[in-house]
Amino acid sequence: MALRRMQLRWWCCLIVMLWMPGLMAGVQAVTYDDYQALSKRLTALKKSEPDLVRVRPIAKSRDQRKLWLVEVGPGGEEDRSVRPAVLVVAGIEGNDLVGSSLALSWLETLVSGYRTDPNVATVLETTTFYVFPRLNPDAAEHFFETPRMETRVDGKPRDDDHDAFIDEDGPDDLNGDGLITWMRVEDEEGRYIPDPNESRLLIEADPLKGEAGRWRYLTEGRDNDGDELWNEDAVGGVNFNRNFPYDHDLFATDAGLHQVSEPPTRALADFVIGHPNIGIILTYGAADNLLKTPKGAAPERRKPMKALDEKDVPLYRVFGELYRETLGLKKELGGASEPGTFSDWMYFHRGRLSLAARPWSPALAVSLAKAGGDPNESSGSEREKRSSKKGGDEPGKEAREELKWFDTHAPEAFHAWTSFDHPDFPNQRVEIGGYAPFARTNPPESMLADLAAKHSRFLTALAGQLPRIGIGRSRCKHVGESVFEVEIHVENRGFLPTVLAHGERSREVHPTRIVMELEAKRFLSGTRTTFLPAIQGSGGTAEVRWTVHVPDRKTIRFEAVSMLAGRVSGVIDLTNTEIHAESRDDAEAERDDD
Amino acid sequence: MMRKLRETMTRDAKNCCVIGLLLMVAMGAVSAPAQSRVEDHTFPALGAPHQRKVEVAWNRFHDHQGIGAILARLHKAFPELTRLHVIGTSSEGRDIWCLEVTARSVGDPDRKPGMYVDGNIHGNEVQAGEVVAYTAWYLCHQYGRLEQVTELLDERVFYLLPSINPDGRDYWFHEPHRASSSRSGLEPTDNDRDGSLDEDDYDDLDGDGYITQMRRKDPQGRYKPHPDYPEYRMVRAKADEFGQYEMLGWEGVDNDADGRINEDGRGGYDLNRNWAYDWQPGYIQYGSKDYPFSQPETRAAADFVFAHPNIAGAQAYHNSGAMILRGPGREGAEMQREDERVMELISERGERMLPYYRSLIGWKDLYTVWGGADDWFYGGRGVVAFTNEMWTRKNLFKKDARPSDTDEAEFIERVLMGDGIVPWRPYDHPTYGPIEIGGLKKEWGRVPPSFLLEEELHRNMAFTLYHADMMPLLRLGPVEVETLAADLFRVWVTVENQRLIPTRTKQDRIHNISPPDIISIAGDDIEVLSAGRVVDRFFKRVEAVKRRPHRVLLETIGGMDAARVQFVVKGRGSYEVTVDSTKGGLLTKTGSLP
Repeated sequence: MALRRMQLRWWCCLIVMLWMPGLMAGVQAVTYDDYQALSKRLTALKKSEPDLVRVRPIAKSRDQRKLWLVEVGPGGEEDRSVRPAVLVVAGIEGNDLVGSSLALSWLETLVSGYRTDPNVATVLETTTFYVFPRLNPDAAEHFFETPRMETRVDGKPRDDDHDAFIDEDGPDDLNGDGLITWMRVEDEEGRYIPDPNESRLLIEADPLKGEAGRWRYLTEGRDNDGDELWNEDAVGGVNFNRNFPYDHDLFATDAGLHQVSEPPTRALADFVIGHPNIGIILTYGAADNLLKTPKGAAPERRKPMKALDEKDVPLYRVFGELYRETLGLKKELGGASEPGTFSDWMYFHRGRLSLAARPWSPALAVSLAKAGGDPNESSGSEREKRSSKKGGDEPGKEAREELKWFDTHAPEAFHAWTSFDHPDFPNQRVEIGGYAPFARTNPPESMLADLAAKHSRFLTALAGQLPRIGIGRSRCKHVGESVFEVEIHVENRGFLPTVLAHGERSREVHPTRIVMELEAKRFLSGTRTTFLPAIQGSGGTAEVRWTVHVPDRKTIRFEAVSMLAGRVSGVIDLTNTEIHAESRDDAEAERDDD
Repeated sequence: MMRKLRETMTRDAKNCCVIGLLLMVAMGAVSAPAQSRVEDHTFPALGAPHQRKVEVAWNRFHDHQGIGAILARLHKAFPELTRLHVIGTSSEGRDIWCLEVTARSVGDPDRKPGMYVDGNIHGNEVQAGEVVAYTAWYLCHQYGRLEQVTELLDERVFYLLPSINPDGRDYWFHEPHRASSSRSGLEPTDNDRDGSLDEDDYDDLDGDGYITQMRRKDPQGRYKPHPDYPEYRMVRAKADEFGQYEMLGWEGVDNDADGRINEDGRGGYDLNRNWAYDWQPGYIQYGSKDYPFSQPETRAAADFVFAHPNIAGAQAYHNSGAMILRGPGREGAEMQREDERVMELISERGERMLPYYRSLIGWKDLYTVWGGADDWFYGGRGVVAFTNEMWTRKNLFKKDARPSDTDEAEFIERVLMGDGIVPWRPYDHPTYGPIEIGGLKKEWGRVPPSFLLEEELHRNMAFTLYHADMMPLLRLGPVEVETLAADLFRVWVTVENQRLIPTRTKQDRIHNISPPDIISIAGDDIEVLSAGRVVDRFFKRVEAVKRRPHRVLLETIGGMDAARVQFVVKGRGSYEVTVDSTKGGLLTKTGSLP
């Protein structure tokens, strides 16, 4: 008992200690990196700890860039595949550069702590980290190219406007500033009017208030194919984070021809299927279930689920609270869900605790800025935000607040509207300007370091939340002759249960089993293999009892195997009627002796 | 037509001479009376071709190599009608074949409306392979002889895939099985979630090549032998009487010593739940595997369909139950009324051609299926698709009522002379002790006996040929030119669809699955001023297009209907009118302005 309590306390301490600042020494600056720079940093990371870090490509992009996978953990493939694991996926949506930077910065921090911080070393020795730092490098590369154009898709040809021409009308950098921004065109058929409180912003005209639209709002470009539509069929393709089977929107323009249709998504899917030890997933992208914990519901038998199993919601809430606390938010902000995301697939179809983070947005920046004075004064859900834009009490309020934030913190993000003589709109006022590409999805580079420090703490802390089995209070009793009663308690010393409610329902997380190395005929009660129910975290146990008839040996070896919570083996010493756990290495050494 | 027929006959006559000569050379040494061909001494029955370049006995089954050999021989004998493709390889590395059948010298094979036919996705449903091979054999031999077949191969292309689960097919033929086993593909799968793959399959304990049943004499048993046919049937004892036997399930032992028998056989999933429309994971749909098209067999079929957008009809063959099934596979799924009417008409015709077969809707009349092939063809690709469940035991005595156990026993004894059954034999089972093993052979129940097989093949093929004939068949009608002024003309183009299925089904249109049909006009000295679809030909109402008047996009060309398009052209000389329909074909017509 004492031992168990000590171990529990050890994990708590570890989480607290990892919270401490000052672990950032020796880590590179946090930047936005193009493919080459990213690859170099990964190579450097691997070289810094070759026995700990593996970097390999798992697929290639359409433009033949390598999709890197980083595996962190000492030992061989077999060792890493047995340990409880955390998976982090970044850059799966092409415009998510910030996620890549956060993941990479965290990896550098973590690896640099391996030799300098014993707590970090313990985490690394007991956990496997799998990281996909950038799954859609082709789209991310647009950030570094001229003109800079923001996109989430992979560039696969597609006829978006169903006119039997492919990719014939994309945006154009008309004013030659190297950026694809926005156009506003004065036109009585437009649907927008200038915001009366902020002339740089447009708001939708409200016919119910007698407002008549006067402006059209378009992306920068020409009507290349003369169909009176602007930029309606740009180089299209698949957003990998809309290509997974849960809630997949088959006919959406960016969802792919079918679920898991693209080599990168297939590689990722096959990877997680081949690595069932992954217990916690964090995916960076447009979806978010950390700023606000999603609602749950009781699942219906044999029907697709529309919400988290209500039994799993309290666990998600714990992670949400931890995340917001790390960021410095004291209240929930708006959550965001998207169809066909990798994170939803990992929960709804594969039964894992799967977190999704939109690591930065103007709304988050505004909230964090306010946190100094009245924290979270303005929050509200996405839906509320949308309805206020459409004509709530103060139309455009959020957009004005966001623009004000940019004016103060990143004035270069918003380009003043300048008039342009547009050939498609002779004799009409056309202005080019507005937000720069990527400016509303990725923070100014100068702010990355602060954000990275926070995410680094959160990501490392995830290791402390994994389930971890051990052998608890156990007993062996000699009941006479060569008959023994054996009772073993398998204990979960981690935080999460060995399997979520939905992990059991989905059947994808296999039950923890305990296997006795003893012939079937020796059992007077119980069986060689016993499947255990879910074992709750923070010290929950499952008890198994056997009666065995063993006239001819002194010990019985046994192994408890959990898909998510690791493995532990032990020995029943019949001579001294004692049971003790052994480390994997001991067990293997002894087996070799046999 | 007559000219072509004559040509074909001449060609056949030449071939006959060649074959005759070869035969004479080969048999020259023997002075037997039968020096001439079989055909010279037989009289043709209606139905199957009489003159056979490729002889196949259609009253038995072929393993995967056997089916492949038929396709290869057909391809060799009919190079002008066939192409043999390997579209992929199975989990165990067997080739998946597709024989493309069309008159290659008439039109562009890739632009003819395509009929996709596959079979045997469930490995044990073997006659589904024969029906597809029979179709290939019949079409090749009857081309040029029967006008209907000649027209079909001139106008359409058939993609014939006899076995898209070759592993399951061969496993059923070459290993011990029962009628319903070997449905799965053969990727090792952990069905009992114990960490081992395929470790406890059936065992052919008595070594007779069949998996039959195990029974044990037991005074409290609930079963007894059939009173009239004790060697053929076991029946349940009445509720208030003891039986004589306990039934112990299918032949097998506890191979992995986990206290269960046959709980993790080879494979263990369902390829017909692995398609990308309305797919759901295993806890909602058993056997669907990890994600849509995760398996090489389904993936190969889907990639083939994506590469052939001209496919306008699809048919899958299964056994058993005498059904012509159509989607939706689950309640509430998409089925457009207009499309359903077309499917009803085709399958009602099928009910006439196929005695005892019923036209049914999957979820309503059979059971719920998520991720089935026919649902993907219709829901995902907008293609009219059916699944036939071949064979019913109503054929035993040709009665509408389902035969009773007694009827079946009588058929086995009197018509099959006892074939179809393995007599009960004693066996000493490691767990159950003295038992008896016996029961029905795998060929009983789901596949027809030899003398009824050929009828099943021909009638089902006839249904598929009718379906293929109902695919859109476009004809460019007369191009009407009206002079409006000097060098100014109104040109009307009429495109007729002479069959039931529209070029784009409603499902296709709603989701923009195929490109629109395009009708265009071009000429060296022609300028198109205006164009549009004629919505009322008498009042000459025209829906003018906004842009690109030389190219009118049509949503569809309806079944048994015509579309009319008006071009107003300026100029002189010759013009060419083109109809470009992905599923209806490519047609052109030239003329001169007056």
